[in-house]
Amino acid sequence: MGGLQKKKYESGSATNYISRNKARKKLSLSLADFRRLCILKGIYPHEPKHKKKVNKGSTAQRTFYLLKDIRFLLHEPVVGKFREYKIFVRKLRKAYGKAEWGSVERLKDNKPTYKLDHIVKERYPTFIDALRDVDDALSMCFLFSTFARTGKCHVQVIQLCRRLSVEWMNYIIASRSLKKVFLSIKGIYYQAEVLGQTITWLVPYQFAHDHPTDVDYRVMATFTEFYTTLLGFVNFRLYQTLNLIYPPKLDGKGETDLKADFEEDYAMDSESYLEKLSALSASLARVVSTAEEEEAEMDHFPAEGEDMEKMEARVKAQQEEDKHKKLFEGLKFFLNREVPRESLAFLLRCFGAQVSWDKSLCIGSTYDITDETITHHVVDRPSLDKQYINRYYIQPQWVYDCVNSKILLPVEDYFLGVTLPPHLSPFVEEKEGDYVPPERQKLLALQRGEKPVAEQDEEDEDEEEEEDEEEDDDDDDAEEEEEEEEEEEEEAEQEAKLKDMEQKRTQGKALSVKVTPGKATPDNRQRLEQEEKAEEKRLAIMMMKKKDKYLYDKIMFGKKRKVREANKMAAKRKALDEASKSDRRKKSKKQ
Amino acid sequence: MAAARKHKRVAASQPGFLPLKSDPNNDASANLGRRKRVNKNKKKNWNKYSDIQDVEEFLEDVRLQERATGGLIADKPDESLFFVDTGEKKSIPKPEAVKKGKRSKPLRIDLILQPDSQVPAPKDILAYQRPNAKKLRLMAEKAEKLAAMGMLSRREKLLQLRKTAETHVKEKPLNSKDPGRGFYDLWSAGSPDSADPYYLEQTKKKLVKRPEKLNEKPSILPAVEVIAPGGSYNPDFLSHQTLLLEAHEAEVKKVKAEEKLERQLAINRMDIATEESVFNEQVEGLIEEDEGEEMKETEHTAEDSKDAAVGPTAQPEKKTERQRKREKAERIKELQKKAERKMLDSRQQLFQLRSIGADLKRRELRTTTRQTKRKAKQEAQKALPRRLGKLKFQGPDLEVQLSDELAGSLRTLKPEGSVLKDRFKSLQKRNLIEPRERAKFKRKHKVKYVEKRAFREIQ
Repeated sequence: MGGLQKKKYESGSATNYISRNKARKKLSLSLADFRRLCILKGIYPHEPKHKKKVNKGSTAQRTFYLLKDIRFLLHEPVVGKFREYKIFVRKLRKAYGKAEWGSVERLKDNKPTYKLDHIVKERYPTFIDALRDVDDALSMCFLFSTFARTGKCHVQVIQLCRRLSVEWMNYIIASRSLKKVFLSIKGIYYQAEVLGQTITWLVPYQFAHDHPTDVDYRVMATFTEFYTTLLGFVNFRLYQTLNLIYPPKLDGKGETDLKADFEEDYAMDSESYLEKLSALSASLARVVSTAEEEEAEMDHFPAEGEDMEKMEARVKAQQEEDKHKKLFEGLKFFLNREVPRESLAFLLRCFGAQVSWDKSLCIGSTYDITDETITHHVVDRPSLDKQYINRYYIQPQWVYDCVNSKILLPVEDYFLGVTLPPHLSPFVEEKEGDYVPPERQKLLALQRGEKPVAEQDEEDEDEEEEEDEEEDDDDDDAEEEEEEEEEEEEEAEQEAKLKDMEQKRTQGKALSVKVTPGKATPDNRQRLEQEEKAEEKRLAIMMMKKKDKYLYDKIMFGKKRKVREANKMAAKRKALDEASKSDRRKKSKKQ
Repeated sequence: MAAARKHKRVAASQPGFLPLKSDPNNDASANLGRRKRVNKNKKKNWNKYSDIQDVEEFLEDVRLQERATGGLIADKPDESLFFVDTGEKKSIPKPEAVKKGKRSKPLRIDLILQPDSQVPAPKDILAYQRPNAKKLRLMAEKAEKLAAMGMLSRREKLLQLRKTAETHVKEKPLNSKDPGRGFYDLWSAGSPDSADPYYLEQTKKKLVKRPEKLNEKPSILPAVEVIAPGGSYNPDFLSHQTLLLEAHEAEVKKVKAEEKLERQLAINRMDIATEESVFNEQVEGLIEEDEGEEMKETEHTAEDSKDAAVGPTAQPEKKTERQRKREKAERIKELQKKAERKMLDSRQQLFQLRSIGADLKRRELRTTTRQTKRKAKQEAQKALPRRLGKLKFQGPDLEVQLSDELAGSLRTLKPEGSVLKDRFKSLQKRNLIEPRERAKFKRKHKVKYVEKRAFREIQ
């Protein structure tokens, strides 16, 4: 055969990838600089499909980049800045070594700096792109803003992060776009809807830092450097959409209110403005001062049929949303000093409440503890000496639960010293047939507008409700389910115990059974209709093709399994509740 | 001035004038030789041949006196020049005063800078001169008029130019990390570049377009993963239990892996040397075994070797022509048979149409199921962290609080885990960075231990 023999690894995937070290050499950067550049430019390592081919026959694990990406990096102007910086450091070190202080000064004056604006623009060609990716930026900024200024990272970075996060919170307050909040053991999760994008971010608790050793701070700082730039531009644009002045200025009215005597003692002039902003108690100044946001009414178009229904649903949703936004409107809160001030102030202001706190706690308190118009006082200690009669003393969880349930919950469960109901995650969305904890069910009932019943009856009623629901679930499958349930119950010991309990209960019930004269129940039409429908359904199932029937059976089986699991959970819960109840009773008897 | 000089001259001519430096050698009359005759009608000669040294000296003396004493000594009253010597004064300076004096002693640098001449500095003449007010006023008026019209004087123009130039130089590029940095509308529709695109490209004023593929995210996972409902600070009982169970299972897995490792690393009891085995090893080869057995064994080996020798040595003999022909015919026959069989089979397949159809269907079904499976697997793979470097991604430890660790209220809550670590792991999980290990400290040179003499002596 004619022609040259093809050499190995000169075409195909071997030429599409480049190893990290080679890429680094190609760019003539140090490894740290290369890593920084990749993070800034959004170029990530890539796992090739055929590693051995790419690695030229070797099976050693390496980090690979796409060659095209690295070629793209070659055009980046920041690369030049990195090289300049390297030389700057070298010169500076030399000058220090020679003790030439004059040249040290001169070099420091001419320190090469770079900006990331063009990279942000390049990575996010439109504003919405940037907004979609702002989750990460927010979490990082909030995290870095809580760092102590101890030299783990530059103080400047911490300050910038603080500024940006405060700006963001102020925007969320001004736009009232917060939707969910979740107090976890890790930190506080917030979710907001900004310009149609759902944005979730995580805020650590204050003073909760131990610095883990297995985290690369340099990498994190680089990410933060990029994200601060991104967040700054996003903030600017968001402020523009609301007609707010950027950088944020406090409203004139609020500013005069905030001018207190002790201001000078509190912070330096340059710092106190940011502090006042971060107090979150005053509203922001607008470019065009309007009295209030005039609410944009939705345009009405004549619609028919399905469209009409959709429209109605949309209008209803809109109304609900508006109602949610004004959840705390008209209420006046006072925060005691032991509650997390910033989180609560942010939340309350997001839903239109007025907030204040002790003067010595933070700058920007607007009214005193003695104010007669305060409606709610947020306290997180077992008891309080001096209590005012015309306000509720509640624990902080009430605020969070109200926000998640979108209604003002009854305050009784959250009074001072009362054991709190569990704080449920708003990020869990139940599907049909999933297990729903009773607390959540109660909440849903409240949301539907049903009135809460008196404390003692509630539990019993709940149980009944559950039972009812179980029965309602599937009339025809009920028997099968029960059988299966029993089978499963036999399996585990714990469940055996449960069964015993149930038996006891049924025995108890059996004793109290009485024979009463029956009443002739007249057949109502609804019942008949339902029966007819069920019959139709049954016939339809019979007429199904074999293939469809198989699928249908599968789906039904899945549903049933879910229901079964949910029932199991409910039974467990019931057992637990009962056990705790009996415990309580025992205790009370003893006492 | 002139008056003062005159006065000086007059004073010097007085018979009582005392020169400060008075040396006898300097007597002019003693040194005078024969007078030279020179033409005095030339100005050059005036300077050359007239002796004015005495005058110079005299004036120098006068200047010295003025510098040193502030005036001519001859003019001074006697009281300032003399005093009556009445013996030594007994004055012991107080120690405190001395100290005070020391403290208030002027710095040496100030002393150096003091003017050492007693002659007062000449007064500023310009301070007494009156400027031409009218002219200045007129000029100012004119400048004002011009300024109102928009014309600036040359001087002003230059000044302004210089100012702008200076500010331009001084303006430092703001650092992106500066907490006070400003932001602007990055995404507003800026003015499109009117210049030639080729020119912009060549001068590197236009950035290279980012490939579209780079905007795809390397993972489909969300940036912030919300913790399970059991991770609430005040969780619902069952969700907390499920989380606990999950954590428990993870822990069990870890323990099992550890145990397995330990088991594999453990020394097998059979391998440990006992006294017996040690003894056997030492004695091996020393004890004679039974001879009969040995004999048998040797016989066996001999037979084996014979058999082995026969096999490979048999060489195939050369085939005859006839044999070859026959083989060829056989081969052809075989081929024909095969072809015929094939024909028959294909004809037979006509009757198997139904079963073939079923077979095809089954195959198709199998491929489709495989395809869906593969796709599902690929989808699942997208959410998984890839292998990007030497190390595999290791998920963070599950944050969980045991039932007795749970805080009843927000005040007593003890946060679990670190948000920083969570963010870092999330970045790794989303394939944004490769998992790494902290670089170990490597010593370049070996440490040499030397016992110091003092230490040795103590021992």
